[in-house]
Amino acid sequence: MNQDTFRYDNRIVRAFAIATVIWGLIGFLAGLLIACQLFLPELNLNLQYTTFGRLRPLHTNAVIFAFVGNGLFMGIYYSLQRLCKARMFSDGLGWFHFWGWQAIIVAAAVTLPLGLTSSKEYAELEWPIDIAIAVVWVAFTVNLMGTIVKRREKHLYVAIWFYIATAVTVALLHIGNSLAVPAGLFKSYSIYAGVQDALVQWWYGHNAVAFFLTTPYLGLMYYFLPKAAQRPVFSYRLSIIHFWGLIFIYIWAGPHHLLYTALPDWAQSLGMVFSVMLVAPSWGGMLNGLLTLRGAWDRVRQDPMLKFMVVALTAYGMATLEGPLLAIKSVNALSHYTDWTIAHVHTGALGWNGFFTFSMLYWLFPRLYRTELYSVKLANWHFWVALLGMMFYAVPMYWSGITQGLMWKQFTADGFLQYPNFLETVLQLFPMYRLRAIGGTLYIIGAFIMAYNLWKTAQAGSFEAESEVVVPAKISSQAETGTPGKFAWGHRWLEARPLTMTVLAFVAVLVGGLVEIVPMYLVKENVPTITGVRPYTPLEVMGRDLYIREGCVGCHSQMVRPFRSETERYGEYSKAGEFVYDHPFLWGSKRTGPDLHRIGGKYPDAWHFNHMDNPRSTSPGSMMPRYSWLLDQKIDMAAVGPRIAALRSVGVPYPAGYETQAMVDLKQQASVIVTGLKTARIETQPDREIIALIAYLQRLGTDIKASNPIAPATVSLQP
Amino acid sequence: MIKNILTHTGGIALYGIVSICLFFAVFAAAVLWTLAQRASHVRHMGELPLNDGEIRPFSPSVSKTHE
Repeated sequence: MNQDTFRYDNRIVRAFAIATVIWGLIGFLAGLLIACQLFLPELNLNLQYTTFGRLRPLHTNAVIFAFVGNGLFMGIYYSLQRLCKARMFSDGLGWFHFWGWQAIIVAAAVTLPLGLTSSKEYAELEWPIDIAIAVVWVAFTVNLMGTIVKRREKHLYVAIWFYIATAVTVALLHIGNSLAVPAGLFKSYSIYAGVQDALVQWWYGHNAVAFFLTTPYLGLMYYFLPKAAQRPVFSYRLSIIHFWGLIFIYIWAGPHHLLYTALPDWAQSLGMVFSVMLVAPSWGGMLNGLLTLRGAWDRVRQDPMLKFMVVALTAYGMATLEGPLLAIKSVNALSHYTDWTIAHVHTGALGWNGFFTFSMLYWLFPRLYRTELYSVKLANWHFWVALLGMMFYAVPMYWSGITQGLMWKQFTADGFLQYPNFLETVLQLFPMYRLRAIGGTLYIIGAFIMAYNLWKTAQAGSFEAESEVVVPAKISSQAETGTPGKFAWGHRWLEARPLTMTVLAFVAVLVGGLVEIVPMYLVKENVPTITGVRPYTPLEVMGRDLYIREGCVGCHSQMVRPFRSETERYGEYSKAGEFVYDHPFLWGSKRTGPDLHRIGGKYPDAWHFNHMDNPRSTSPGSMMPRYSWLLDQKIDMAAVGPRIAALRSVGVPYPAGYETQAMVDLKQQASVIVTGLKTARIETQPDREIIALIAYLQRLGTDIKASNPIAPATVSLQP
Repeated sequence: MIKNILTHTGGIALYGIVSICLFFAVFAAAVLWTLAQRASHVRHMGELPLNDGEIRPFSPSVSKTHE
């Protein structure tokens, strides 16, 4: 029999592994800091670069794209070579991928604290970085597909299908959601507005969870779990159904993030139904994983790697049962905007992605360094400390979420809100936030223990940069018996055709996207025009951009749901037609503070001025950071023209050449606000950022109020 | 508003029905494909992760490589 000799490349695997550990620690610490800021506002440090609003996306991007991202690349580069019986297609592309990805992470770590953000969740990075992500992702995809093409193993193992689905779908989602028109080097406006933008964002956001945090890790599960258990996956047939069921259903479920919003009801119901159906493939995969350990449970007791794997799968099972539960409208009515969502997300993040990544690291390091793990005892300590940390994280957050959800909806016997002051519901949560911080601290301690353990393992061993391997020249289906060609139409046929597999997977995810996106355009044609809705004035545009820069959307929604408890608290429920000029939409997904859609006209300008300077001066006990720099910093006047032009190009009907008039209108509106503040004995200048922010906040949600007087400066913008 | 959309947009109710039908078509195809697999092939596929090839102790002097 002819034999091929070649070498697996371990250098790239080690590089991604080290990056996983380092970024993981940084991402966890950022999470702990912002968790503590919620009960100790002083930790915002009175610096604009370290507020919760700016650091929250830093935390989410760090753990998703830096920690899990590097983790999945580590696992894929290791397993793909071995499943294809081939070295990676190109070492050069691999290193371009590695360094490109790290550069993107560093760019995120710099730009997000600077307030350079698109504000779209998990897609906050601005357009130049978005382009870099697309380029690096293409390099990864080419390397992946190239390796598959030159493989020696004829059939593609199920893990590789998950990798393929990840590569093509993430590219589709990233490009689809990031389409924007630049208005400067680090400023852009989404081409979508309002309802359409919300739908595209959550088509992306939901499926980022699906195809970045789930499918690649399921692929890795199908490789690393049999390796660790030293037995094949429980049911290979089930894994096929798991794959096709999961990738087909997942893509439809995005609208469950927009239940009871201004999104059309039928789209919400479609998202809900597919979310509930998602339980089946998710649990099929989880059970397939756990049942793989049949007869090997004694090894779970001894092998920390398997312990982490079992908890990861269990957390996956819990999160994928809870997700569909939260997608049921009546449950979502209570859970949405509360810490319940945070608990749900972290069950998946800490349990599924975190524990699975730890498991892979414990498995890989001894093999890469050809030695034993430095300390099994320390790994066990890590396991129990991290597990305790997860409990301390999740339980208080469930408690907090349900408490606040119920308090928001509680009426007195006389029919009034029991807790009309939103702050009252927040103050109840502080003990839970403190407990959560303890949980996070424990989890991080565990991660540091792991880092030490892995470091000592590396020191004790010697790194094998390349593993020389001998395989039969053409493995194809030699291990099989029977006549080739029988059942050639079956899945076996497909497994030998990566391109066909890729196209089919792409179609599977595209269909779901299209059925959501096509009605999106129909909705666009049918959002009833509200006569009073008009484009933002130049000063309000600049104020809105400050709202985006400061990450206000991380804590404040702009979507009053059609519940009596919300209309009593905030005012008229939000209508789709009110958001037609919102590029991007700012509906938010969490109410750490109250909804702001009807904040316009609720308080005088002076209240906003004082509140932004020191929130506790107007709202004693508030956890909101101070934004005193807004009182000193000047509005970026040079940006007004380009931003008006960019907004016009995405469809906001500013008249041609309005850029010149815009400055006049801006100054006129600003001087009106400054004059008004003087009556409250507040002296300030019309070119300060606080003036723009006040203009925007006072405009919010006022278009549909019949009695709303139109500011003189906005007359030229009447539709 | 929602009533208005449903009333004035042609074919929108069809999306829900089409989506469910599509799902069952994909699901049924996956199940049928799966059942059509020969047992030996399934066994072979399941064992793929357990076989990394024969790993040799690495020696830099070995020049025989196809990569």
